[in-house]
Amino acid sequence: MARLTAGKLDAADDERGAAGVGQAGPAPVDVAVEHISHIYGAGAVKALDDVNFTVERGRFVGLVGPSGCGKSSLLLMLAGLMQPSEGRIVVEGTELSRPDPERVGVVFQEASLLPWKTARENVEFPLKVRGIGKAERRTRADAFLDLVGLSEFKDRLPNQLSGGMRHRVSIARGFCQDPHILLMDEPFAALDEQTRMTMGNELLNIWEKRRKTVIFVTHSLTEAVYLCDEVVVMSHRPGRILERIEIDLPRPRTYEMMATEKFGRLRDHIWRLIRKD
Amino acid sequence: MTASPHSWRIRAVQFGAVAIVAAPWEFAPRAGLADPTLLPPFSEVLKQLIVLLSEGSVVKDLAITASEVALAFAIVAPLGVGCGLLLAENDYIGRVFKPFFYFLASVPKSVFLPAFILLFGIGFGQKVAFGVFQAIFVLVISTVAAVASVEPELVKLARAYGASRARIYAEIYWPSMLPFIVEGMRLGVIFSITGVVFAEMAVARAGMGARIATWGQTFQMPDLYAGVLLVSLLSITVNEALRAYERKVGKWRG
Repeated sequence: MARLTAGKLDAADDERGAAGVGQAGPAPVDVAVEHISHIYGAGAVKALDDVNFTVERGRFVGLVGPSGCGKSSLLLMLAGLMQPSEGRIVVEGTELSRPDPERVGVVFQEASLLPWKTARENVEFPLKVRGIGKAERRTRADAFLDLVGLSEFKDRLPNQLSGGMRHRVSIARGFCQDPHILLMDEPFAALDEQTRMTMGNELLNIWEKRRKTVIFVTHSLTEAVYLCDEVVVMSHRPGRILERIEIDLPRPRTYEMMATEKFGRLRDHIWRLIRKD
Repeated sequence: MTASPHSWRIRAVQFGAVAIVAAPWEFAPRAGLADPTLLPPFSEVLKQLIVLLSEGSVVKDLAITASEVALAFAIVAPLGVGCGLLLAENDYIGRVFKPFFYFLASVPKSVFLPAFILLFGIGFGQKVAFGVFQAIFVLVISTVAAVASVEPELVKLARAYGASRARIYAEIYWPSMLPFIVEGMRLGVIFSITGVVFAEMAVARAGMGARIATWGQTFQMPDLYAGVLLVSLLSITVNEALRAYERKVGKWRG
């Protein structure tokens, strides 16, 4: 568990490196979704149909599609919480059959904080589950709460925090686990538009500092284009991949980019794909 | 509770409300507006309360009632919570037996008292049994509600972090359920007290319920009112203590 020590926290990244980012040559594949199909119940509903794609290390990949396209199911499979009827998920070369929090971390919908734990205890919780000692847990949690600007609020219970603050805690908890791959399931869906954009920017800020491979499920096309390197567009049930769209906007992303013609064209393209379907 | 000027005002009004009841109680019998043999002045009742507490026999009755309640509660708390967990966690048992609990919960338990007397006699054991019977339904129902209150989303989250089943019980189920369980316990104690005292009032050789019934039948009005006051004060103390604990463990709610 060398990579989990507090001393490594301030390093630019772990020994895996943010390979591929800003370098020549192809980056290694972190996640491979291999021909996943899924049927719910006794053959009643086909949710996913031969979904197949790869995500390279350090990339920020969005997953969009209409409601019921199976993107949340796919995310549960990527988290090891659900087994597909067919196909498999390969993470860093090995098949994933159950939750593996050291490699794959999850940021859930609507913050999902444990309401009886303080902000800090919430951030510490996944580390506690992993058996990391109290002192180290605390150091790491404090560092990430600091990063999301919540140092002064760490002893508050979730019901004493605003919606935006709760999401910051949730993001801090996701990054604090220091997984190689971070799955985010519509993390900002419950927020108003303004807070949502702010949280998106904060997320990108943290991500720039601690590059992870991110798979981000969202309903919002604007959010998808704004945050991601690549957007995987899924069809209506049964979910299939319609297209993988490279978002070649420069980083760091800025609000002004949203007004550019290119941004509009990309978003429009995704919209047409989903609507046609 | 914080002592803001506002809450002080509320306290003052509440004190006034008590005074409005106590003052006529004190002065009406003295002024001949009420029959003092039926309604002795409030101060007489308070004086009698102190006399009762200094009488060994009354304290002994109080101790008997308290131990009946304590034993009833010691039986019903694990039994009720255990049944509740079984009904909530085992789908089959829950579907078969839950309706019976909900139906029986709505039946006034007092109608079963004659049967309890015939089955268990009129001694200590019968009081305990009736106390258990009074309290079991509320405990089972609040335990079922406690289990239902556990957020599946949080269980999923803990699983994603690689938590074992034991850890999920300890870190997700237990803290979620605790405020509901404590609330059920509090109601359980109140129902146990009700059952025990009610059974004592019907037929018993000892206990506060028996005392109060006798005082009523023999027109010992200062004793009767003092006895009612005593039982009320003790029940309120138990209830408030558990409510304070409930607030503490449920601070995260709401």
